[in-house]
Amino acid sequence: MRLGALITTAARLLAGAAALILAAMMMITVADILLRSVFAIPIFGTFDLVELFLVGVIFLAIPLTLLREEHVVVDAIDHVVSGRTRTLLRWTGAALALLFLLLMGLNMIQPALDTLAFGDRTLDLEIPKVLHWLPILVGIAVSILTLCVLLLRIVGGGRHDSDGT
Amino acid sequence: MSPQIIGLLGFAALMVLILLRVPVAVALGLVGVAGYAAIDGWERAFLVLGATPFDLASGYSLSVVPLFILMGVVAARSGMSRELFAAANAQFAGRRGALAMATIGACAGFGAICGSSLATAATMTRIAVPEMRRYGYDERLAAASVASGGTLGILIPPSVILVIYAIIAEESVPQLFAAALIPGVLAALLHVAVIWILVRIRPELAPPSPVMPWRERLAAIAGMWKIGVLFFLAVVGIYLGWFSPTEAAAVGAFGAIVIAAATRAITLKELVGAFLETVATTAMLFFVVLGAFLFAYFVVQTQLPVALVAWVEGLDLAPALVILALVVFYIALGCYLDSISMILITVPVFLPLAVHLGYSPVWFGILLVVVVEVGLITPPVGMNIFVIRAQLPDIPLGAVYRGIVPFLAADAALVLLLLAVPAVALWLPGVLY
Repeated sequence: MRLGALITTAARLLAGAAALILAAMMMITVADILLRSVFAIPIFGTFDLVELFLVGVIFLAIPLTLLREEHVVVDAIDHVVSGRTRTLLRWTGAALALLFLLLMGLNMIQPALDTLAFGDRTLDLEIPKVLHWLPILVGIAVSILTLCVLLLRIVGGGRHDSDGT
Repeated sequence: MSPQIIGLLGFAALMVLILLRVPVAVALGLVGVAGYAAIDGWERAFLVLGATPFDLASGYSLSVVPLFILMGVVAARSGMSRELFAAANAQFAGRRGALAMATIGACAGFGAICGSSLATAATMTRIAVPEMRRYGYDERLAAASVASGGTLGILIPPSVILVIYAIIAEESVPQLFAAALIPGVLAALLHVAVIWILVRIRPELAPPSPVMPWRERLAAIAGMWKIGVLFFLAVVGIYLGWFSPTEAAAVGAFGAIVIAAATRAITLKELVGAFLETVATTAMLFFVVLGAFLFAYFVVQTQLPVALVAWVEGLDLAPALVILALVVFYIALGCYLDSISMILITVPVFLPLAVHLGYSPVWFGILLVVVVEVGLITPPVGMNIFVIRAQLPDIPLGAVYRGIVPFLAADAALVLLLLAVPAVALWLPGVLY
């Protein structure tokens, strides 16, 4: 169970990092507008940074939402099936999510390596584009581990809650 | 097996998976990849699967989504909706059903900065329903006015769902926002009209409210300055050419934080919570969009949109009739699917058809959002109803659904108006661009 707690903590830390990145994304955009409007000095590379930050905001927060089972689900069937069937459906949904992310994760490795090999860079700041892959790969890897924890939790009769604990 | 048959089987599999409680993003993604593989082979399908997350997340224009969500979350957490409700109530004071009308007004105003129907309904339930109960309003009217008023959140700009449509349809966000403004205001007025008619026919639904002196009314209006400032920055700022949509969203979010902090309406802990809620919502949204992109690649491979266009051409129907049939289809689909899924699943197929029939993609987007709104309040999957029920479990679900019925007339009137007079949506973007 220690591993489960570790993965839960990792999911939370990543979500915290995503929140900080979002704050940075907002601040740099506002600072760019202010400096551009008042002093006619725009922040060079804002566009590149916002793009990079966006990847972090999206993919670093995915593990926590998976752990909390906050993804969009049509749960109309909940009203017509027994609790046991509902648990089975929850487990199946999480298992399919695991399959989807495993397939995605495995197939992302090559394009990420290609980006590294080709040395692709952003236009203004020339940030290596492989950095865009970093939050994606980390987010998907932790999401896969998170789903394993969730599956075990569902089998063990665990109830999801808003804390993800 | 022809690609079209694979496409139809794909749609059937998708519906089964979604109704079996598989997360919508996962169902879209898996069916998309498997369907693509059935047509073009696993190697190509896996290439698309591996590249899509990078392609999707690296788009600057998408950064508008988390920033607009942040603005709405901060506004909701800092109690701006309460002031808005007080202001709206002051404007309707003296009329029977004033609180229900004020709920619609507050929902429209809150939708103007929030962009999410669920957040609007959740916020207004906490504020408006206890107040209406205190004054002896019929609980069906109380719950239904919040549920239907909440739907205005996805129509009145800035609307997150319109941004999602813009991404999928490759349309301009500012044009869509401009096109949504007049239909959004009309929708609010039509909902108020429904309440006005209801309480005239059945006065027992709502008591008369006391008249309020003009000085108090003006003071209440002044109380909604925060929302006014945010709307000005986030929406008007785009049309004045001051900001791009992403910049407007960043300024709006920053403005909401500054206003909330300056008026001591939010604590640091709540602000941290707002950021965490925003990234969670963003991740959830983009996960669905990611699945939808994979599904859309599959739909393109099936050539279903082309086949659909050819089939409809063969029927030789009037374009308006085809659109009307689509509206009926969407309303039926809305009974089972949530709004985001509906848009993401169907736009790749139906948008080419609408464009082929001579309709503007901007107009189609607005019509789609209006129709999708209806799905938020129709059984069995009425997301706004669930939000209200979660907060007020003592109101029977059946009572809420019965209360909703008259408000569906307002939505039907708006749909017909959009069909008969497309300029309702297209006039403003035509003037501005």
